[in-house]
Amino acid sequence: MPGLLQAADVWKRVVWNRRAARLDDDVAPRFKPGDRVVARNVHPVGHTRLPRYVRSRQGVVDRDHGVFVFPDTHALGLGKKPQHVYSVRFAARELWGPAAPANDAVYVDLWDDYLDQA
Amino acid sequence: MSHDDHAHGQGHDPAHDHEHGDESHPHNRPLSEVELRVKALESLLTEKGLVDPVALDELIDTYERKVGPQNGARVVARAWLDPEFKRRLLSDATGVLADMGLIGRQGEDMVVLENTPKVHNLVVCTLCSCYPWPVLGLPPVWYKSAPYRSRAVIDSRGVLREFGVDLPDDVEVRVWDSTAELRYLVLPERPPETEGLSEDELAALVTRDAMIGTAKVNTLARRDRSR
Amino acid sequence: MNGVHDMGGMHGFGPVVPERNEPVFHAEWERRAFALTLAIGAWGRWNLDMSRFAREQMPPADYLGSGYYEKWLFGLEKLLVEHGFVTREEIERRVADLRAERRAQTQPEPAREAE
Repeated sequence: MPGLLQAADVWKRVVWNRRAARLDDDVAPRFKPGDRVVARNVHPVGHTRLPRYVRSRQGVVDRDHGVFVFPDTHALGLGKKPQHVYSVRFAARELWGPAAPANDAVYVDLWDDYLDQA
Repeated sequence: MSHDDHAHGQGHDPAHDHEHGDESHPHNRPLSEVELRVKALESLLTEKGLVDPVALDELIDTYERKVGPQNGARVVARAWLDPEFKRRLLSDATGVLADMGLIGRQGEDMVVLENTPKVHNLVVCTLCSCYPWPVLGLPPVWYKSAPYRSRAVIDSRGVLREFGVDLPDDVEVRVWDSTAELRYLVLPERPPETEGLSEDELAALVTRDAMIGTAKVNTLARRDRSR
Repeated sequence: MNGVHDMGGMHGFGPVVPERNEPVFHAEWERRAFALTLAIGAWGRWNLDMSRFAREQMPPADYLGSGYYEKWLFGLEKLLVEHGFVTREEIERRVADLRAERRAQTQPEPAREAE
């Protein structure tokens, strides 16, 4: 419940706050663990949580975290656009080229709207 | 607040006023621009009834003294001692941590990553500074700074070497970029020679850096609360 | 946005240099900036994504050259003004007033005329 924050409410309203980034909406996932995906080559001028270093890179869905608010629209007051968020595993060599360690990987949490089937 | 070491850590922070503890700062010292701006904002917002200074004090005290890596250390120690707890923690960190009162702001959805002899996990937020506050408190300056944010994903082994962690090539390094609202806590490996230690004694060995992934836990280090 | 905040993979920032015995806050103003941001956020007028976006819009040279809580301060001022909590003029007027007040406090007494 928004309003002036009082000292007595700091733990309840801030420290233990479970702000609803995760949503109850029943939205179908587009991908499942094990799917090969490619991060879209998009360059939004507003807010996005799709880092440039993964755009156009191929990865594998490691896990589906469930449904969350979509920051690109939420930051611009354009709505929550609930959708699935996945941990996507990118091989280090896929991101950084053949000089990168063979065994290493970067896992990035990405929304459905950031991904296409590879 | 300890000021025995004036190392400014992450390069030069232009905004870093060199205050020697609030008790000793002279009241007639000119204020920097940023100090003026913050005072101006606080006075305006207080006048407008938009903030309560007592609540501000409580927020500060809470995150400065009460919420911190000692929380995460307890979780790690318990996982080391209790295989069933560890199993549940790895499969449903949010549920397990919620039962412990360790779910909340900037840690509403948790994932615990287990380090093993073959897999080393490292956590970063390349885009800003996302960090699991309820279990680790507020992040250190280095975590939020450009060198770590830029290099953790492209030169994780170089970063780890700078922290004194040298991993052989056959260990897989996994870097987790906290781009969404999932927050990650590393469950470091339990060091050998810790048989028989109590949960409290084990927790005292677990450093904040070990729970980010930039350190391993060893029995020699007394836990420095800021590392 | 393709801003400088999107740092993954960039070069040139040098080594990671942890500070030993690092305090949670390095200055009183950092404490206040932190608390103001959270307390104002409790009004629910903007969301976390808007907060992040506000900070990302700091001019690049300022973003790279400023400390962490300076970024928070920039974002907070931007959101406060955008959402009508305060005006830019009110902020600047109060800053100017405080600066003048402080200057008066820290100035030595003017030399008295010999009597």
